Amino acid sequence: MKKGKWTTFILCTLFATGIFTADVAGARVYLDIYGKSFKKITVAVPYFKSDKADRLQTDMSDLLNKDLDLSGFFIVAPQSLLDKEFLNEGVEKQEINFGSWRSVGIELLCKGRFQLKDNEVVLEAFLYDTLDGSLMLAKRYRSRQEDWRRLVHRFADDILLTVTGDKGIMSSRVIFVGGRRNLKEIYMADIDGFNLRKITSYNSITVAPSISPTGRYIAYTSYKEGRPNLYVKDTDGSREINVDRSDGMKICSSWLNNSTLVYSHTSGRNSTIYTYNIETGEKRTIMQREGIVTSASFSPNGSKLLFVSDMFGSPQIFIRDSASGEIKRLTYYGSYNSAPSFSPKGDLITFVSKIEGAFEISVMNADGSNQRVLTNGGSLNDSPQFSPCGRYILFSSQAGGRYGLYTMLYNGENKRALKFTDGNEEQAKFAP
Amino acid sequence: MKYFLVFSIVCTLMFAGCAPKVVQPTYKATPEGAAASKDDSAKDRKGGVTAEELARAERDRLQMLDEKMRSSLSQQDVYFEFDSYAIQGSQLPKIQAVGNWLKQSKATTIVVEGHCDERGTVEYNFALGQKRAESVKEHLVKMGVQGSRIKTVSYGKEMPADPGRTEDAWAKNRRAHFKIDQKG
Repeated sequence: MKKGKWTTFILCTLFATGIFTADVAGARVYLDIYGKSFKKITVAVPYFKSDKADRLQTDMSDLLNKDLDLSGFFIVAPQSLLDKEFLNEGVEKQEINFGSWRSVGIELLCKGRFQLKDNEVVLEAFLYDTLDGSLMLAKRYRSRQEDWRRLVHRFADDILLTVTGDKGIMSSRVIFVGGRRNLKEIYMADIDGFNLRKITSYNSITVAPSISPTGRYIAYTSYKEGRPNLYVKDTDGSREINVDRSDGMKICSSWLNNSTLVYSHTSGRNSTIYTYNIETGEKRTIMQREGIVTSASFSPNGSKLLFVSDMFGSPQIFIRDSASGEIKRLTYYGSYNSAPSFSPKGDLITFVSKIEGAFEISVMNADGSNQRVLTNGGSLNDSPQFSPCGRYILFSSQAGGRYGLYTMLYNGENKRALKFTDGNEEQAKFAP
Repeated sequence: MKYFLVFSIVCTLMFAGCAPKVVQPTYKATPEGAAASKDDSAKDRKGGVTAEELARAERDRLQMLDEKMRSSLSQQDVYFEFDSYAIQGSQLPKIQAVGNWLKQSKATTIVVEGHCDERGTVEYNFALGQKRAESVKEHLVKMGVQGSRIKTVSYGKEMPADPGRTEDAWAKNRRAHFKIDQKG
């Protein structure tokens, strides 16, 4: 029954996106991205056309290729496959010989034509299904010339939306900790590594950034006053708010709503989870226990609190029902399970699990069932976070020697390194 | 006598193997001390020591102990097992030495820093470092040191003593580190 509904949904989506054809036998399974596996689609992005020769012809198509590769849903045809005949072809449907694209295995074809004038770039973008030559997407994008990267990312996200029913992460921004021993600051950047800017400049150790759902507030813990205090930066007017400067370790791990953060405080014998409202200054104790309690976050509907505790001797993940206060242990395998984070729908939890001496990114259902390991680098991986669409996991890894940031699909496929600075990069989160 | 014992332990830790020899030279390290011990040996021959001289010797000895402790405090790191904030028996003498010194040097406040090795998750390590510092503090308080004289700070895995990625380096990094609180 459930399956039937799902199929109906897929069919509706197919209709809605205009790629449903009479050829049901040849219908693509690529929409079933939440299944155990899906078939990657082969896509070609020939150089974009313009009146005058310009570097953007190749820069834009190269970036689009990179974006589509990062998305994990496509096999990007190498430029070497596209010979002259293909490159000279126009962008309009009647100019395209779909048969020859099909003959080299291309399923989807992205074409672009742009104009540069008055420091503006206007891109006309087309996406075709080579099976029947149907036009899946035609859209005009406009931006300042220096923002051409964002324009390409928007096109890439629209391609993802058309093909998979959900936008990608190519237009996303991230916040993260960058730096080295003794000198760490909070940064924000586009996911492609551009538009990097510093959120903090304390020449100290500043860690654990957490951004509010609207992006207005950024919480972090900084040692700028000699001990780890919890602050919030209000990006409207860049004022800084002291949240907690008492003794002990304070770390914000999540936001409950647009103005309320969730943080853990370890001091003396106990650890306490608090919520703190930035706008009213109201502080509430959610729970207190002896030992370590940390990495607290609420489920998207607010009914459950996810946290890590050492109440059984080693870090394990627990969930607490907000109404009844009942606590349930979610992880039993291994001696170290930590850093849990909900998916946007609240159906999955990604976390770090110690396996054979390594710390691997894992995922489980919200009730603790069906635990799967997504990385197997045998290295140190940390801070996994779902993307706002729920299909990607952003995490940090020591795999390359330094700490760096990576994305992968929620099923562990298509791992891709991100790079923003020359230093270590860690503790990343998607920014709205 | 009790202080003698503590002093010997401290010296043993610092100059493993040559502790007995160290005791003597430290008396001579300051001019006063040298004079006192010379007088002592002279009196010894006659078979009598005044109370005043004894008190001065004791004062000098405590001052020496205080100076030694201050200069060697950064070498008293208390080490921990992976993912643990329980204090191992082998690490107790270091805490006891610091505790005895704090009971003498009553004006001193210290900071206990808790550190972790790089393994495990960042957030958990911040909490773990705090618990390591708190464990050491708890011991010192049990010994009779006022809790208000001991501050605790966790650095998580941010400040490794050894940047290496070996079992040896990790062992050195899982530590509680003592510092004199300069702010008082």
